[in-house]
Amino acid sequence: MKRKLRIYLPFINAGLQEATTYRADWCFRILGNILGCFISYFIWKAVFLSGGSEIINGFTMPQMVVYIFLMFLTSTLVSSGGTFDIGEEIRDGSIAMRMIKPISYNSTFLFQELGNKIMTVFVLIVPLVAGVEIVSALFTGSVQFNIARFGLYIFSCVLAYLVNFFFNICFGFIAFVIKYLWGANMMKNCIVGFLSGAIIPLAFLPDVIEKIFLLLPFASLNYTPVMIYMGMYSGTELLYYLGLQLFWVLGFWGLSKFLWKAATKRLCVQGG
Amino acid sequence: MKQIKRMFRMHRIFVAQELKRMMEYKGDFLTGIAGFLLNQFFNLMFLWIIFANIPNLMGWTIEQIVFIYGFSLIPKGIDHLLFDNLWSIGYFTVRKGDFDKYLTRPINPLFHVMVEKLQIDALGELIMGIALIGVTLPSLSIEWSVTKVLLIIIVIPFATMIYVGIKTATAAIAFWTKRSGNIIYMFYMVNDFAKYPVTIYNNFVKAVITYIIPFAFTAFFPANYILTGENPLFNIGMTVVIALVIMVIGVFVWNKGIKAYESAGS
Repeated sequence: MKRKLRIYLPFINAGLQEATTYRADWCFRILGNILGCFISYFIWKAVFLSGGSEIINGFTMPQMVVYIFLMFLTSTLVSSGGTFDIGEEIRDGSIAMRMIKPISYNSTFLFQELGNKIMTVFVLIVPLVAGVEIVSALFTGSVQFNIARFGLYIFSCVLAYLVNFFFNICFGFIAFVIKYLWGANMMKNCIVGFLSGAIIPLAFLPDVIEKIFLLLPFASLNYTPVMIYMGMYSGTELLYYLGLQLFWVLGFWGLSKFLWKAATKRLCVQGG
Repeated sequence: MKQIKRMFRMHRIFVAQELKRMMEYKGDFLTGIAGFLLNQFFNLMFLWIIFANIPNLMGWTIEQIVFIYGFSLIPKGIDHLLFDNLWSIGYFTVRKGDFDKYLTRPINPLFHVMVEKLQIDALGELIMGIALIGVTLPSLSIEWSVTKVLLIIIVIPFATMIYVGIKTATAAIAFWTKRSGNIIYMFYMVNDFAKYPVTIYNNFVKAVITYIIPFAFTAFFPANYILTGENPLFNIGMTVVIALVIMVIGVFVWNKGIKAYESAGS
């Protein structure tokens, strides 16, 4: 354990340094995404004003505000860039360098990305959660924040991140088939965005479709943590969804191991 | 005159070169277009699901909203198709020191950057835009006149110019900071506001997207003119004026930036 830590600590450090080097640039990206949240906010406000009813598909407007901003926070926290990294390495052949080193391929990525995330976690969580809580307290007249739910939310985010991490590693192997990763990645992001509730809450979909989407791994990415934060799940339901997340972590972890084995057999480095 | 003729000839050569490259990677070409089609498709799903719950969105029918949305994709798509290369200036060309190549050639650098690449992915947006306009047009009962058609034809290049101007100015920031990709990204997120009727926003947002980062003129205002025929002087006239102002600012910032540019030593 201690030895492992000594091996991977430098990767965390490298990730952190990478993130802090381009922090101004990073801020602009986050600002851009927050602007995107405000677009959703105004559209939903118009929807609630036009709909005539206080509750649409189980959501009130204050809850919708929580949903929009928490969705943004969650998807930023659980985002993972493995697809590009692994895809690029397959393309340019530097994956060969990884193979000759006595460390785990996945773990190096994992720790580097965790280092990268430290800044996101510290800079975003407090203001966003506080902001959302203040706004919903103003709307409803009482404080909604619940520390236990927040703890469960963070736990669920960790599981969601692992699902996303291993899923992206698996998807990165698509570089063996499609050389234009940017396009493939864009398609993936669109589909995942929709299936994970980032575009519209899954509760707005027809019942059958909602049930199917909830089973798919993508709901485990963003929707489950946000629903937990909002207190929509409780008791056995809560355990069920956390269990489902765990199931998908293990599933994609296994698949990534398998793909790695298969890929190393057929890897053919182009040029040098 | 001779200068302009030369530019057109060069543009043709660059485009031909790009087309050859694309033919080499046919799969990529389809993946890109499909990616953008899919992106727009899910945005439409969003509108469609929302409208299942409400009769209209603050007085706008789904056809009108989809029409405005479709119209917004046309200038955006043209900008994306022809002038996408400015993004790479912001993200890596300057940072990696590759910008030197533009400075050593006997072509205006801005022109060279713009014509160098053709981003065929944009066809995804253009196809979707035209399809949405085509589908909604019959149910909108728009009154047509020759002036209207002419004004629409005139306004599209100017609406595109708003994108190009903003992108030129924000990409040029990289000459000072080495990297400005995410600044461009931030401005382009503002552009998403303009896909919906500005009447759903509060006054602050309205003022920002009309006068400060005037993306409302790339979509909502011209589309509103097509829908209602009202106020051509503002809806179309202002689009033209603002486009020219933005483009002048863009070129100005770019030229200042080139003077400040220092190659990354490598």
